[in-house]
Amino acid sequence: MPDIHLERITKKFGDFTAVNEVSITFPDSSVTCLLGPSGCGKTTLMRMIAGLETPTSGRVRLGNRDVTRLAPSRRNVGMVFQYPVMYPTLSVAQNIELPLLRDRSVSGAERRRRLEQVLDILSMRDLADAFIEDLDAGGRQKVAVGRSVARQTEIILFDEPTTNVEVNAKLELVRAFKEVTRQLKQSIVYVTHDQTEAMTLADQIALMKDGDITQCDSPRELYNNPQTEFGGWFLGNPGMNFVSHTIGEGERWVVLPLFDKPIDAPDGARGAITLGIRPEHIATHAEPVDGSVEALVLSRAVTIGGQQLIKVRVGDIDLKIKANRDVGRQLAKNDTVHIIVPPGRIAFFVDGRRLHADPADALPAPAEPPSEMSIRLAASGATAGSMP
Amino acid sequence: MALVEFRKVVKSYGRKAALRALDADVRAGTFTVLCGPPQCGKSVLLRMLIGLEQPDSGRIYVDGTDITDVPPARRTFGYVPQSFALFPHMTVRSNISYPLRLQGATRQQIAEKLDWAASMLGIAPLLDKTPDQLSGGEKQRTAVARGLMKNAELFILDDPLVGLDFKLRERLMEDLREMQATLGATFLYATSDSLEALAMADEIVVMDDGVVIEAAGVDPIYREPQRLRSIELIGFPRANTVAGSLANGRVTTALFDFTIAAETQDLSDPGDVLVAVRPEDIVHDGAGQGIGNGRLGGTATVRLVEDLGGEYVVYMDVEDVTLCTAFPVAVLGRQPAYGDTFSFTVAPDALIVFDRATGERVGRGRGRDHA
Repeated sequence: MPDIHLERITKKFGDFTAVNEVSITFPDSSVTCLLGPSGCGKTTLMRMIAGLETPTSGRVRLGNRDVTRLAPSRRNVGMVFQYPVMYPTLSVAQNIELPLLRDRSVSGAERRRRLEQVLDILSMRDLADAFIEDLDAGGRQKVAVGRSVARQTEIILFDEPTTNVEVNAKLELVRAFKEVTRQLKQSIVYVTHDQTEAMTLADQIALMKDGDITQCDSPRELYNNPQTEFGGWFLGNPGMNFVSHTIGEGERWVVLPLFDKPIDAPDGARGAITLGIRPEHIATHAEPVDGSVEALVLSRAVTIGGQQLIKVRVGDIDLKIKANRDVGRQLAKNDTVHIIVPPGRIAFFVDGRRLHADPADALPAPAEPPSEMSIRLAASGATAGSMP
Repeated sequence: MALVEFRKVVKSYGRKAALRALDADVRAGTFTVLCGPPQCGKSVLLRMLIGLEQPDSGRIYVDGTDITDVPPARRTFGYVPQSFALFPHMTVRSNISYPLRLQGATRQQIAEKLDWAASMLGIAPLLDKTPDQLSGGEKQRTAVARGLMKNAELFILDDPLVGLDFKLRERLMEDLREMQATLGATFLYATSDSLEALAMADEIVVMDDGVVIEAAGVDPIYREPQRLRSIELIGFPRANTVAGSLANGRVTTALFDFTIAAETQDLSDPGDVLVAVRPEDIVHDGAGQGIGNGRLGGTATVRLVEDLGGEYVVYMDVEDVTLCTAFPVAVLGRQPAYGDTFSFTVAPDALIVFDRATGERVGRGRGRDHA
């Protein structure tokens, strides 16, 4: 199975740039999800891999083959669409077999072997003789997946295959899909706007925005270390809280009402920065504890898995917190809650990009904190105990 | 007093019953969410309130007045329909102000309201565009703004976020909640997505198959559901149900046996029961010591792990049962893998028992199980 190489791919429709100079390699035998909001260019990018669109500039290579100008039928690429195209009067097995019947290089025995294998993986053996029209949208989509998989093309592309599938059937489909990728190591590109689907299925996620890939990483890496504010916002339900702050010339601390004492500013931070804080990283306590600050509860709602999503205000900063249900349940609007924002879990951004603790970027640190800092600290009531 | 009262509302389409003598109340000033599966009748009910459908029988009261036979034009409610129809030849600005112009508002009033709605929904930059220049999400926000422009006490929103991108929905949910609070008006909102209902509602009306299953505040519905369909329909991920039988106050299932703290006056055991347990009440038993210490449990095999970023939703098989569980990532530490063995425990009082035939609640497991 080949790698997929995209080299400075651009696609314009009139004066609209759908994909903008994307260069990336998707490794072979793995699942890559193209994730992003509608209009980000993910479907256009996929269609260029399939050959359904021709890039305005740039090249598509599958392994060593330059396929940029090659017709879709000659690329050895399979596709599964949002609306699967099926033969309603044929059985499940016949639908899966059909492309193989047309392929003279596949013997009858090989065809039956692949059919059996696919039916097993999809747990559809009992439905082999059922007609397509008797299946629900999820079942049909499973057959579409099976049909592509059985062809054993080098690459399979999926275009939001779960979009029109009802929630419970969707889960069944995701499960079947996971099974396919676990058992058959094909190179797969999967387009979705559903972050959970991407996090669940992908070996790597290419997160897209405005025609660019903003980050391509494993799901956990993308979630834990978003390289852009957009990534921190897009991943998560809800995504990161963002707090704007300005670090003055020579200052090395961040002083905000979120913290009971100043925290170290990241190296290289100067001027306008943004702190990104995940709602689940903020600890909540009913009573004050060491390091906590007081917050006012604005609202509370039940969310995923019975957790409590509370909105609080600290000074002039509003935060969303996913609270443990035992603490969260007790809270009502206008209550006080004690929170800790752990400095080690904060992501710092400048101009929307993650600030790295790279020593090369670090500013020479002043020997003494400027005196105005201490004045401001005193004014804001923060303790300066840890200051050198 | 209730602002809206539905009384014994019946509606059929041919032989198909859409609403079956439905009773429901909507309290003034609340964000009330009608939540039920697709085709359960919620949209029909809202269309009746607007006046787009007429009940076969039954009455609808608003503010104590019977409006069942009032023509739609004389019902002054805000309305955001499911499929938004914007006037294609009008700008966003004209589309949004249309309902207010119909109401005869002054230019000044329209401008003020328009500014408010546009900034709330982040569509100020779009005001001079026409609908064909908008993305799906922008059209939706325009439709929401138009629905909320009217000067009304009651706003009716029929699943306005369905089919939108996840992140856009997240944002619009917040906006809608905020708009309701700002207006101090009553919002009646239909959705089949229980997370949407939980995120926004003060009160939830659970609907299924043309009737109201249960109506209450979010906390009572979530913590103490009185009907099987309530716990099945409200909560994400969906609650687990395990078939069992009840005899002499003792419930037997394939997974665990426990004593019930019965709540109904009728002490005759229903026999066939369904035991419901929420995903979050199935606790990971890392050290494998929890069972027996007043807790129930077992060992399962992991089949699928959904990664929600902040949570893992883990589906696992025990005996013939697939259990769905949900854990904050920090609780599990490592992501479970396909085929992993997973020990879990459950507190007996996290198990809610329902009569299988009627769906009525029978009771909870007794806090400490002495068997």
